[in-house]
Amino acid sequence: MLRSDQILSTVEMIQKENLDVRTVTMGINLLDCRTGDVAGTCDRIEERIKALAGNFVATCNDISRKLGIPVVNKRIAVTPIAFVGAGFDRFGFIDLAICLDRAAAAVGVDILGGFSAQVEKGMTATDREYIASLPEALARTEKVCASINIATSQKGINMDALAIVGRTIKELAEKTRDQGGFGAAKFVVFCNQPGDNPFMAGAIHGLEEADAVLNIGVSGPGVIARALERMIGHHQGKEPLRLDEIAEEIKQTTFRVTRCGELIGRQVSKALGIEFGVVDLSLAPTPTIGDSVGEIFKILGVDAVGAPGSTAILAMLNDAVKKGGIFASKTVGGLSGAFIPVMEDAVLAEAVGEGSLCLEKLESMTCVCSVGLDMIAIPGSVDADTISAIIADEMALGMVNHKTTAARIIPVPGKEAGDHVSFGGLFGASPIMEIRNAGKSSRFMAWGGRIPAPIHSFKN
Amino acid sequence: MSKQMIISVMSKDRPGIIAEITGAIYALKGDLADLNQSILCGYLTMILIASFEEDITREDVLAEISHIQSGEKFDVLIKEMDIPIEIAHIPPPTDTYVLTAQGRNRSGLVHSISQFCYSHGINILDLATTLSEDQYTMVLQLDMRNIASMDTVIVDLEIFSRDSSLKLVLQHNDIFRVTNEITLH
Repeated sequence: MLRSDQILSTVEMIQKENLDVRTVTMGINLLDCRTGDVAGTCDRIEERIKALAGNFVATCNDISRKLGIPVVNKRIAVTPIAFVGAGFDRFGFIDLAICLDRAAAAVGVDILGGFSAQVEKGMTATDREYIASLPEALARTEKVCASINIATSQKGINMDALAIVGRTIKELAEKTRDQGGFGAAKFVVFCNQPGDNPFMAGAIHGLEEADAVLNIGVSGPGVIARALERMIGHHQGKEPLRLDEIAEEIKQTTFRVTRCGELIGRQVSKALGIEFGVVDLSLAPTPTIGDSVGEIFKILGVDAVGAPGSTAILAMLNDAVKKGGIFASKTVGGLSGAFIPVMEDAVLAEAVGEGSLCLEKLESMTCVCSVGLDMIAIPGSVDADTISAIIADEMALGMVNHKTTAARIIPVPGKEAGDHVSFGGLFGASPIMEIRNAGKSSRFMAWGGRIPAPIHSFKN
Repeated sequence: MSKQMIISVMSKDRPGIIAEITGAIYALKGDLADLNQSILCGYLTMILIASFEEDITREDVLAEISHIQSGEKFDVLIKEMDIPIEIAHIPPPTDTYVLTAQGRNRSGLVHSISQFCYSHGINILDLATTLSEDQYTMVLQLDMRNIASMDTVIVDLEIFSRDSSLKLVLQHNDIFRVTNEITLH
């Protein structure tokens, strides 16, 4: 039998420190659901989702109960819909979104991702229709999330698409004005989007995947924060701690957290007879107190998130998380690192309100973490070209550094910097962030075309 | 070698006890199959399984241990086995759970929790307790393959927790294995 102290520390981790499996996401291939018309395609999509995911939620709940670890979200990711609906017009894509929403509700999942397209090099006529459908599609659905891959390290950045996307985000927020522009929180723009990321809003079932696969998203910033507090507490009055020792503690804690996800994933996969894909160990905060990545910054020694040192802390955190996760799981994938979604993290949101965390600092922090400019509420008055240009900067970071970067920016209609917006639930709340130099990037965005891939992408 | 005996020994702890007891078994040409020992509050207890020649009796083993020269007397219990014991390692059943119970120390805690297990058809595979200041902690490894319903156990455990003022957490053994062992089975 294991030692009592090992057992008690695991019990602490689960009971007191918000350890959970954040999401079990079932990836479903829809490519062969295309028929001659939209209605027929919708029917086949619904049939496919119900056939594969009919018992999905109940099975996750059973295994969660058996193992005593909460599985917070049960989600579905589908093949990027622009491939499935090739040849359909914008109205066809709106119908597809409504059909996906209906199917998601029928099987009881909370979110469905994959209302997506990949346009990093060029846009087809279908891709343009898909983009045109986004505001209406997301405003008329509840559970559907959309994403677009607009850049890669191999192909560069599609600036034509990015210019359209800036306007689309504005329109999307405007169409959901009565919800504070919430529609824009369901749409994320990527560079180097992974095909097996289980986290929303950017989950898709990549074209490289099998017919169905289960990917697990494990979180646990609260577990890391409490482990660090305990470690620092035990060392008080003794020899001072060093950062390499702290990194080691993060790594070991991550190992334990990832293992719980691996266990759940394997058991759900076996019960459903669906291939187990990857574990994505990402520190994904929630607005719940004590489940914050921002809190870890403060524990590790900066008195305000965004103060000098914040980027270095995030680099260490992200690396230690990856190392612990990779050793714990047979197959690690997705994003695997630390997220800094402002609205979803109470401490980060507070830092925006206090003025210690600005867009430029966030941008530099995204150079060393897993995702990007995530869940940032900006004034509704910021023009579309400025939004596109902010995203272009973020895409450039991902492209040059061969990493995933993403942008989920919400121009909140009728609100200005310093006002407050709340979406409730996991989407959280935050003050509106000031955008400096707004309205000064239109000449840049007007060029169009592509930013070529960097020289070090040519490795053939 | 055809006769198996189970030998239980208790003594005040000091260096050399295991060497002396196993020395006595060796002197009778016994073969030690398995041994488990534990120390609690300065007292050592151990249980051994050993095989002996057919003509060795429990009295012979008892006499050999009694002849050990030491300051402390051993309390010894020996039982000859009629049916050979299966020594092979048996992994824990798939329905093994770990229950932790924590609360203020008072008499009857272990009894009440073991009675709860008994009344629900739960077999206790292992039990460790610690007392720190006034806080009593029990960690129980449970075989739950014969329970009537998991839902009933969970509901009854909540009631028991409320009535006994014990903080109880029941979780599957696999969770503790995967978070504490390097190999993933």
